[in-house]
Amino acid sequence: MSVRNAILGLLSQRNRYGYELLQAFQAMAGGRETWDLKPAQIYTTLLRLKESGLIAEDETCSSELPEKRRYAITAAGREELKRWFETPVRVEPQRDEFFLKLMLALATGQADPRRLIYIQRASLFQELHRLSTLRMELDPSTSLAHILLLDQAVMHLEADLRWLDMIEARLEEVRKQPIPEPEHRPRGRPQKIAK
Amino acid sequence: MNLYIKLALRYLSGRKLRTALTTLAILFGVLVIFGMNTFMPTFVQAFQTQMMAVAGQIDVTITHKTGEAFDPGVLEKVRQVEGVKVATGSLERLINLPADYFDHAPNLPDRVNAVLLKGIDPDLARQMIVFNVVEGRFLQPDDPSAAVITRSLAREVGVGVGDTLSLPTAIGIADLKIVGLLPERALPGNEEVLVTLAEAQRLLNMPGKINLIDINLDTLEEARRAEIQQRILTAVGDAYKIGALESGSEILTNIRNAQMIFNLMGFLALLMGGFIIFNTFRTIVAERRRDIGMLRALGANRATIRGLILTEGLIQGVVGTVAGLVFGYLFGWLLLQLIVPVGQQYLNIKVGLPAVSPSLVLVSSIMGIGVTVLAGLLPAQSAARVTPLEALRPSVGQVSLKRLTGFSFWSGVVLMVLGVAILISGQAAWLGIGAIFFVGALILMAPALINPIAVLFGNLLALLFARQGTAQLAEGNLSRQPGRATVTASTTMIAMAVVIMMASVLSSVTLTFIHVLEKSLGSDFLIMPPTVAVWGSNTGAAPELAQKLREIPGVELVSTLRFAGSQMNGVAVGLLGVDPRAYRQLDALSFSAGDPESAYRALENERAIIINGVLAAAAGIHLGDEITLLTPTGQQVYRVVGIATDYLNAKTTTGYISQQNLAVDFGRNEDVFYQVNLKSGADQAAVEAAITQLLKSYPQFKLFSGKRYVEENKRLLDVVLLSMYAMAAFLAIPSLIAMVNTLAIGVIERTREIGMLRAVGATRRQIRTVILSEALILSAIGTSFGILAGLYMGYMAVKAFEGMGFPMMYLFPASGILAAIAIGILFGALAATVPARQAARLNVVEALRYE
Amino acid sequence: MQPIVSTQDLTKVYGHGATAVHALRGINLAIQPGEFVAVMGPSGCGKSTLLHLIGGLDRPTSGKVMIEGEDLTRLNDDQVTALRRRKMGFVFQFFNLIPVLNALENAALPMILDGMRPNEAYQRAREWLERVGLGPRLTHRPSELSGGEQQRVAIARALASEPSIILADEPTGNLDSRASEEIAMLLRQISSEWGRTILLVTHDPRIAAYADRIVFLKDGQIVDETIMESRNGDEVSAVVGKMKEIGD
Ligand SMILES: Nc1ncnc2c1ncn2[C@@H]1O[C@H](COP(=O)(O)OP(=O)(O)O)[C@@H](O)[C@H]1O
Ligand SMILES: [Mg+2]
Repeated sequence: MSVRNAILGLLSQRNRYGYELLQAFQAMAGGRETWDLKPAQIYTTLLRLKESGLIAEDETCSSELPEKRRYAITAAGREELKRWFETPVRVEPQRDEFFLKLMLALATGQADPRRLIYIQRASLFQELHRLSTLRMELDPSTSLAHILLLDQAVMHLEADLRWLDMIEARLEEVRKQPIPEPEHRPRGRPQKIAK
Repeated sequence: MNLYIKLALRYLSGRKLRTALTTLAILFGVLVIFGMNTFMPTFVQAFQTQMMAVAGQIDVTITHKTGEAFDPGVLEKVRQVEGVKVATGSLERLINLPADYFDHAPNLPDRVNAVLLKGIDPDLARQMIVFNVVEGRFLQPDDPSAAVITRSLAREVGVGVGDTLSLPTAIGIADLKIVGLLPERALPGNEEVLVTLAEAQRLLNMPGKINLIDINLDTLEEARRAEIQQRILTAVGDAYKIGALESGSEILTNIRNAQMIFNLMGFLALLMGGFIIFNTFRTIVAERRRDIGMLRALGANRATIRGLILTEGLIQGVVGTVAGLVFGYLFGWLLLQLIVPVGQQYLNIKVGLPAVSPSLVLVSSIMGIGVTVLAGLLPAQSAARVTPLEALRPSVGQVSLKRLTGFSFWSGVVLMVLGVAILISGQAAWLGIGAIFFVGALILMAPALINPIAVLFGNLLALLFARQGTAQLAEGNLSRQPGRATVTASTTMIAMAVVIMMASVLSSVTLTFIHVLEKSLGSDFLIMPPTVAVWGSNTGAAPELAQKLREIPGVELVSTLRFAGSQMNGVAVGLLGVDPRAYRQLDALSFSAGDPESAYRALENERAIIINGVLAAAAGIHLGDEITLLTPTGQQVYRVVGIATDYLNAKTTTGYISQQNLAVDFGRNEDVFYQVNLKSGADQAAVEAAITQLLKSYPQFKLFSGKRYVEENKRLLDVVLLSMYAMAAFLAIPSLIAMVNTLAIGVIERTREIGMLRAVGATRRQIRTVILSEALILSAIGTSFGILAGLYMGYMAVKAFEGMGFPMMYLFPASGILAAIAIGILFGALAATVPARQAARLNVVEALRYE
Repeated sequence: MQPIVSTQDLTKVYGHGATAVHALRGINLAIQPGEFVAVMGPSGCGKSTLLHLIGGLDRPTSGKVMIEGEDLTRLNDDQVTALRRRKMGFVFQFFNLIPVLNALENAALPMILDGMRPNEAYQRAREWLERVGLGPRLTHRPSELSGGEQQRVAIARALASEPSIILADEPTGNLDSRASEEIAMLLRQISSEWGRTILLVTHDPRIAAYADRIVFLKDGQIVDETIMESRNGDEVSAVVGKMKEIGD
């Protein structure tokens, strides 16, 4: 979704070649390490955009190779881009693997939940340390955009770490409570309670 | 710059007002001590200058230790001493002149109060002193009724060579013919009137006597001169001394007493200064716990911290002391200006500039700085005990405070018991220590008592400020901080104690003096010489005058006093010769030991003496003792038959003997003071006229009606008392400053809390009321404790005066207590106004940020 | 290699009887020269207590604190004070500076207390203040400096006397996140570029992440430890081994 809209945005700047689009996207998203986009993904997206009439191919310099083709945005494309700008980005609700691990450890007794926390925390801290080091190497006077992007990651890590602290502090309480089980629901329409 | 000094200066200048107030306390103490001591010696010196002849170019002067005249035979002994070049005997006497004697203008100040009548041997005197006659001629060996005076005296009196100078003398008015003038006097002092020795002996009614031997030595070499002096002293015997006449030395004793009392007051003021410093530094240390902790964490050791606090004290001590010296000098000068008129009126002396001796500066400085440093010692010690952790954790050590409170309470109780025991035992020597115990006890007990008392007064105030509910808050503040509350309250306590003590002493003194005054001078007429304090300088009258007075119809009784100076165990004594029977009839003496009846009888029949309390205390004499008095003819043993005081001599070391003994042992028979009682139904006006007529030829005397004199004296006493009250207030001021100071500090310390109160909705008015209530509670506590302490100290002081020999009656200072309460409330409120306004004006946000 | 700091069974109990608080229960910790160690843990777990004991600001109930091989617990107050002056630099959360002294004077204070000639002390203080970016603020009083600047002065002060270890207790606790980040980066720089040993107490993971090693404290005990991979290979494998131990 965001790759598609990013291509529209980049084309609204000026007409670009396929390879040009790949490089521009990666530069803007924060480098290869941050968002490693495959060329194939770009070209399939371009194809789909062209089919929906949001972009058009520049016929004057058409080529066999997809990276050598040049694209331009259409009026419909501009319309679509405008809509994207004006709708907020939806954040996916937490679907956390660590949470599942922890619940299973609690339910099965196969692993020590505290140890899970420590291992996770060590890893998060390693990542945090890596990002902090990275961040220190950047020059704020030129790479502020990148720094801000790193900050976002740092803050997410920070939030995760705090969350781990919270779990650790309340582990005993969680243990005492029943593990969530599926509700035993009778088939058919739920019975109305007669009053 | 040294780290200590830098930090100290920065901290001090950070709290300018407090620094100023604290320094002011030290300044004040030094001011009193230094001022008093510059003033006193000047006063004494002026006094002595007046009493002494100016010695001229004379090497050694010999006088009798009593100051009395002696036989010229001694002169021969002196002349025989090897090394003596010239020795000449003379007779000199200060003649105090009645007011307006020369100028006859009551509204103009008299420029000549007294002259020194000096009888000399003209030839011998000229060998010693070059008399530089500027007009006329010098005296000749046989030159009756001739006088040589200075040009300045001649100008003052308005006479010249060939004119006549009339002087009051023992034989009535004497007319002297001025034969020559000497240059104007260079040195301040009394003008001299030179006559021949024979003439002086006649005028002073002392035939064949001299009272001064002037000697010139044959060498200028120091060692040899001392040796010759020693030989002279051996030759003349130990009844004589080297040095000029010191007539009036008994009043010197008195002045020294006064100086001691003033020193005591200065010391008291300095102690209070010390207390204020102590109190400020305690607050400073409390305020700066974090800074101190931080310094400790950074590697300052205990000695460094101690040094820092002491440096701050030292700076304040030095500044306060220096300023105290300056203001003390001004204070002394001012006092002298005030005293000049009094001095001229009652003591007949002129006063110069305050005297500053290096040793006085040194002693004052040591005391001022020493007290500051001492007062800083304990807080510095507690600062040194601050652990580095206190920079990081605010709430350490509260438990120990509670324990300390208990400990200090019980030590206070012990001290209190001791103090009361001393009071009950009545041991005068211990009373001073008792007072210190008592005050110490109150200070120690205060922290434990603050709580209940604060609750009590808090409830009282709650009734007053019922609507606002702020009194409880104030009370809570106080009991939460018993240490600081104690310091503030005890400052008030000391101020109030001083006020009450002074009130006790003053009201007791007033009562006593009026009592003695009425008893001593209650006769119908008094005939008084120019000065009643310095008897020795008065020119009396031969016994004929008393006789003539007795012959006036309507007169029932004439009692006279005669005077001679003496010494006993090195203490100067003024001896008053009385006619025991007449004096008994007047009943002028208030006895504190011995039976009047038998005492007067003993005076009549033997060498017996009644001494006054001051003398008894000064020389350590008791009833029944035998004492040895120095007389011009040798030593005489007198038995002490009573201890009693009359009004006029209450403050000077005085003894009363019979006129007969005075004539035999001291060769004095001139009357200097007369008291006249009338027959019942006598015509008062006629008698007064007759006496006035008689006194025409004795202008040195003044006639007073007894009642009028007593009235006049009461008025005088009132003035003196008023100035003493002013002094008391003066002493109380620094303590009040301290109270304002501590209260203000309290507000500063609680800035955050006040901000909180404001934030949760307290109005400015409520904040003001909290602070005011707090101040009122504190001053109420301080005042009530102060009244207790003051009562004790007052009683002690009265006892101490008694111990010093003044007859004293204790009077409960009811008005003083009322005044103290009024002052307490007033200053409590006053002390609160500035901090309260400050607190009310606080910006809430700022206050909450305050660290 | 001899550690700069090591503790042995360090315990600290505040108060006694029913109200006794066991702030530390047997801490064994060693800090190697040049290491940047962060101590983390929930509030009240004993972080500050540990720092105070290591800094000789307080005395342990039992156990030892060794500073470069010298047992702190055996020294008297003056000796501990002198040791603090020479071997330790402190940075605290609040009240770090003496309010009546300016930045330069504050930074020079430990050296002056140690008897160094003022000129030399000021010279060194100035150099360090410049290095932490406070060159233009030398004569400002603490009240005229921002929170971050104040902490920089404190750091310069801690560095100027060239101590063996810098002890920092929540140095960023009072700062906004940007200033916190800057201080943390400064500490990182001090460690990596100037090779100083640092013991940092914090409860902020972002700040702790700059350290080479994180020690987790809970209820007065060390419960976990993480060594950052960037530090060096053997230590990483050591920590992996340790993790395994905990798991077993
Ligand atoms: N002086 C003290 N007296 C009593 N208890 C204290 C004292 N100092 C700290 N504590 C307690 O010791 C524990 C550890 O405190 P501290 O080291 O300050 O924790 P942290 O710095 O990790 O927040 C806390 O429970 C605290 O209440
Ligand atoms: Mg802490």
